[in-house]
Amino acid sequence: MAPSSALQQVLLSPAELSYLHTSLASTPPIRPDGRTSRQFRPLIAESNILPGTNGSARICFDDGTEAIVGAKAEVEKSRPVFAAREEEGEGEEMAEGQGEGGERGRNEWVDISVEIPGMRDDDSMPVFLSALLSEALLADGGFTRKLWINRRFHWKLYIDILLLSQPLSYPLPLLSLTTHLALLATRLPRLKSEKDEDPMFDDDWEASVFLFPQSQTAKPPATLLVMAVSSNIIFDPSKEELAVAEVVLAVSISSSPSSFTPESEMDVGERKGGSLKLLAVRTIDPPSRLTHPGVPNVVNTATGGTATDNMEMAMAREEGVWKSPRGGAKRKLIAEMIRKVLEKGGVGEEVLDGLEAVGLE
Amino acid sequence: MSSTLSNNAMTSLKRSLAADPFASNISSKVYVRSTKSGKVQKIVRELYLRQDIPCSSKLCTSCLKTAPRDASGVLAPLVLSAKPAGTKKYKQGHYLVPDTNALLNALDLFEQTAAFYDVIILQTVLEELRNRSLPLYNRLIGLTKSEEKRFYVFFNDFRLETYVVRDPGESINDRNDRAVRRAVKWYGEHLTEAVKAAGGNSKSVPAVVMLSDDKENLTKAKRDGIDATSLKEYVGGLENADQLLDMISVVKEGRELRDARSAEALYAEYFSVSKMMTGVKNGTLHQGIFNVSPYNYLEGSIKVPAFDKSLIVLGRENINRAVHGDVVVVEVLPKDQWKEPSTKIIEEESMNRDENADADEGEAVVTEKERKALQEEVKKMHSKSSEGKPQPTAKVVGVVKRNWRQYVGHVDESSVSQSAKENRKQQTVFLIPMDKKIPKIRVRTRQAGEIIGKRVLVTIDSWDRDSRHPVGHFVRSLGDLETKGAETEALLLEYDVQYRPFPKAVLDCLPAEGHDWIVPPSTDDPGWKDRKDLRHLDICSIDPIGCQDIDDALHARPLPNGNFEVGVHIADVSHFVKPNNAMDAEASIRGTTVYLVDKRIDMLPMLLGTDLCSLKPYVERYAFSAIWEITPDAEIVKSDFTKSVIKSREAFSYEAAQIRVDDETQQDELTTNIRILLMLSKKFKQKRMDAGALSLSSPEVRVEMESETSDPIDVKTKKHLATMSLVEEFMLLANTSVAAKIYEAFPQTAMLRRHGAPPKTNFEELANQLKVKRGCELKVSSSKELADSLDACVDPQEPFFNTLVRVMATRCMMSAEYFCSGTQAYPEFRHYGLASEIYTHFTSPIRRYADLVAHRQLAAAINYEALHPAVRSKGKLEAVCKNINVRHRNAQQAGRASIEYYVGQALKGRIVEEEGFVMKIFSNGFVVFVPRFGIESLIRLRDLADPEPESVFDAENYVLRTSGNREVEVELFEKVVVRISDVLEEKTGKRKVKLELVGKGSK
Repeated sequence: MAPSSALQQVLLSPAELSYLHTSLASTPPIRPDGRTSRQFRPLIAESNILPGTNGSARICFDDGTEAIVGAKAEVEKSRPVFAAREEEGEGEEMAEGQGEGGERGRNEWVDISVEIPGMRDDDSMPVFLSALLSEALLADGGFTRKLWINRRFHWKLYIDILLLSQPLSYPLPLLSLTTHLALLATRLPRLKSEKDEDPMFDDDWEASVFLFPQSQTAKPPATLLVMAVSSNIIFDPSKEELAVAEVVLAVSISSSPSSFTPESEMDVGERKGGSLKLLAVRTIDPPSRLTHPGVPNVVNTATGGTATDNMEMAMAREEGVWKSPRGGAKRKLIAEMIRKVLEKGGVGEEVLDGLEAVGLE
Repeated sequence: MSSTLSNNAMTSLKRSLAADPFASNISSKVYVRSTKSGKVQKIVRELYLRQDIPCSSKLCTSCLKTAPRDASGVLAPLVLSAKPAGTKKYKQGHYLVPDTNALLNALDLFEQTAAFYDVIILQTVLEELRNRSLPLYNRLIGLTKSEEKRFYVFFNDFRLETYVVRDPGESINDRNDRAVRRAVKWYGEHLTEAVKAAGGNSKSVPAVVMLSDDKENLTKAKRDGIDATSLKEYVGGLENADQLLDMISVVKEGRELRDARSAEALYAEYFSVSKMMTGVKNGTLHQGIFNVSPYNYLEGSIKVPAFDKSLIVLGRENINRAVHGDVVVVEVLPKDQWKEPSTKIIEEESMNRDENADADEGEAVVTEKERKALQEEVKKMHSKSSEGKPQPTAKVVGVVKRNWRQYVGHVDESSVSQSAKENRKQQTVFLIPMDKKIPKIRVRTRQAGEIIGKRVLVTIDSWDRDSRHPVGHFVRSLGDLETKGAETEALLLEYDVQYRPFPKAVLDCLPAEGHDWIVPPSTDDPGWKDRKDLRHLDICSIDPIGCQDIDDALHARPLPNGNFEVGVHIADVSHFVKPNNAMDAEASIRGTTVYLVDKRIDMLPMLLGTDLCSLKPYVERYAFSAIWEITPDAEIVKSDFTKSVIKSREAFSYEAAQIRVDDETQQDELTTNIRILLMLSKKFKQKRMDAGALSLSSPEVRVEMESETSDPIDVKTKKHLATMSLVEEFMLLANTSVAAKIYEAFPQTAMLRRHGAPPKTNFEELANQLKVKRGCELKVSSSKELADSLDACVDPQEPFFNTLVRVMATRCMMSAEYFCSGTQAYPEFRHYGLASEIYTHFTSPIRRYADLVAHRQLAAAINYEALHPAVRSKGKLEAVCKNINVRHRNAQQAGRASIEYYVGQALKGRIVEEEGFVMKIFSNGFVVFVPRFGIESLIRLRDLADPEPESVFDAENYVLRTSGNREVEVELFEKVVVRISDVLEEKTGKRKVKLELVGKGSK
């Protein structure tokens, strides 16, 4: 389970937490900012903001969190093939069995770095986020294959993700969407040489080709944050909502080329729905677990109650007293959350379409 | 449920340009740059657009107000004239704006003096031209600098009104064309406004005419309502249109023609650039400069770093459109196609005599005759014993860089149709370049009748796969064949000698006093600072007869301690030529003074070279002196360098000095001093020889001219006098000492001269020849050994044999070169020929730029002045060295060619029999060297008798036997008697001596 320590502790009293929890658990859920359960926070997105990069994007949520992503590509000499044998341990992660004339990528061709203000680059949060984001990118090997130039050369893609603001809410969706947008806008110089020659490129930037051409269905992955309170599934939770979440999932999806199914994937429920493809799911330790429970009046000496040894028992009895969630999530609930992301006309599709519209502008 | 991302929720925000008040002034340029190391970068350049870039027309007053001024508040002078010339179509006068194609196709036109004035060169066009052709770009820059042609470079991409943003989906070319049109339009509007503001008549506004050869561009120009015309149409409206029309490149026209006929490709296609680069990097392909053998136009060689010996490229198909001097990439052929370098003389002239220049159809790359000649080669190869060593051959697969220049030649008369001589119909003729290594060039011309029998200048435009010969166009005529003016100019052009008069900017750098300049009489003058007064010394100069630019002078005097003081005084040119001014720049480009038989092309303006710097007798001059104390055994006790003032007592010629020394009755101080010098010089020479210096030989002759008409009347071999080696020894001494001094002071940037040890393979052929024919062994492992074994190569019966061997050995040598000390390791500094560890040129600053640099460095080394940054930068010095090395070689070749021409002229109409020696032998001819005239020439078998006698060539023993109607046996090094007459060589249009074999042995 992923750490959530990045979040500043939400300063809500147990009573407030309880109130929030109750509202989110009601049907339909009542979110503090009035959104529906599937609605995202309004955001401002633009791409190609950094002229020096191969592709870049900026997204700004209306809570003030803002991120910039830049992708830069460099031509690199590929290691000779025999070296691949030596590290068969990594082999699993690597894209395997892709025919197409031996065009295969390696995970090391992508370098993702995440920078969050106020954190060191070896803090658990940035490390975890970059692992999570690269996991989604590298999951099916299709992405690194795009970086293949010929048997001797490849592009090395550096993706620099920079959170501009304080991490007010859990920054994963913001960073992922921005990365997605930047990759959509990423272009590589057009190759002029043939076969295994030393690569030569067209010096006209206008002639460069998109890493993800608009004509193709393949799109970069996006990771969405989904949470559940009792049986209600809520998308794009805000900081306060996360404080009472019972389950938090990071779901990585991409639009799937119809012919292609990933071989090895995390074993999580149904994997298909609509034209979307599930790449990865991670559960995230909800910050709600770290909150302090409320003290029911009956056991609160300050309000005339009597202290009891069995706090648990007392809390279970009392309705409306905040208690931090315990235990795992129900499998059915998780499956339902994933289904909601992947289903046709579901949230996943909407998000990807919405982002593509930005890229097109 | 409602949608997650409503459209208005997810708003896209582009950087709003309107918010930035300067936004309209900023634009950016994006492109991809591939670096040498293989990196690929996206480059974004911000462009700051301005409105103060002037139109530079003298009509316009509004630009003057805003035009930027330099630090002293001076405005750059306006270029375009207020009353430009008009044509039939543009009576009111016009400015020209050529686009890139127009310049690429016909830069020669723009260089004409008859037309093409007031031309606006747009920055867009200039940049495009630079990417397409650097030589053309440099020529255009030269044009823009010349004031009389009034070419103005307008930076349209920096001016707000004329900058155009590339539309999405628009190609770069289209965008550039649009930029050109926009600029033309702006100029038109701007000028109209300017004239109106000045109260002028709108009818008198000059037209701004775009010149383009691009049909689409022209159509779009019509649509935009701007004046535009094709080159052809424009030139057609000028006077002497025929002459000018020939200068338009034929590339496009020709291609259209051929497309229509869809001729098949005759040559293999070149590899793609990336394929070549990969191959060269991998070592499967090789890159080098393509050289054509002077004896066989179908054989080329290419020296590549991977192999010791050159690769041979045989036959038209393998040469694959490479022209002498091109940088090409070759592929080594399989071993079964390896051949020995040809022993046969093959000349294009004799092979393809009757080709029709106009005919394009049905021609094969390799004509039957050529094929047969090659077959014979192969046959011979196969019949050879195992001793025959076939050499690796290669095939040209691509050209990295064309080194085409303008070529001098003459029209092949047989290719001109009789009817066309009268009328002015355009037709195709062959032009035969003077340089035999260059293939014939097909030229379309309307003036065929007029240019027959003229020396003409042409350029090659292209060489397509479907054309057997390169296609070029006619530039200008130099004059009739064999007239002195035309031939001299041809020579200068062929060897790229800068012979234009010095521009005004250079002359402005001369001292204002002109010829009246004198060494300041007062020693308090700043010119005297740190200068030694050596006026009291008995200094004299010894030079060839008639020498005007006296670089050096000498003195010697006995010292009380029994030693001698010897001084070498060199003209102080660096006092007059300051680094980095216009004169310095011009001199560094010229590199050296070029001596032709009847002409001298100076490196420095006359005023300096023959007067102010020249160490003339009886006047005081500034000098740079090297003064040694030398023991009677020629050991140097101490040396000293100083700037000085001297007064030469006398300027001797070698001959006069010799007579004076030999005359025992002359006992004056000057003569005794010369005798001291002579005595010391002999000792120095002996020391040098003991150290292994080579005494090489190259045939040197002097052409005697009639003094008034300067027509050549006789040829004399140069006599060697003791006084010559006197001067030579002391110059060598000065050069070596200065080299050591400046290297000590500037280990990284000293300007030095080296002579590499020749690779053994260079001598293989000669060593083998000597072994087989004379039993002499040539040892080449060191210069000392070589010198000794050359001394041993004597033929008691034939005193000249040794000289002959030396002449041949000289040709196996590397050429000496200038270099900057930081670029080589110390052991590489060695001068092989002089057997000196370190060497430079110091003694002739009037005629060599390297010496001038050495002067500046020496002056800094003795703390006379600070070293100028330009002489301190390794990169700059390297560039200077590269240039002067080329110039030096060209100057030598031009000088030799000039002598060759005049020898031919001197022998014109005469028939002489002379002794000669067989120098080189082929299967169908041999080369004879005639020492009396310093000439060498080929005697072909077919010249021996008609029909050509049968022959057997014994390559192992270098013997050629003929049988049939003339039986001769000729072997290498043999002495023969030849009849020398002159003949006008058809192939090159040069008058050359023709040798005929009279008999063997002495006269």
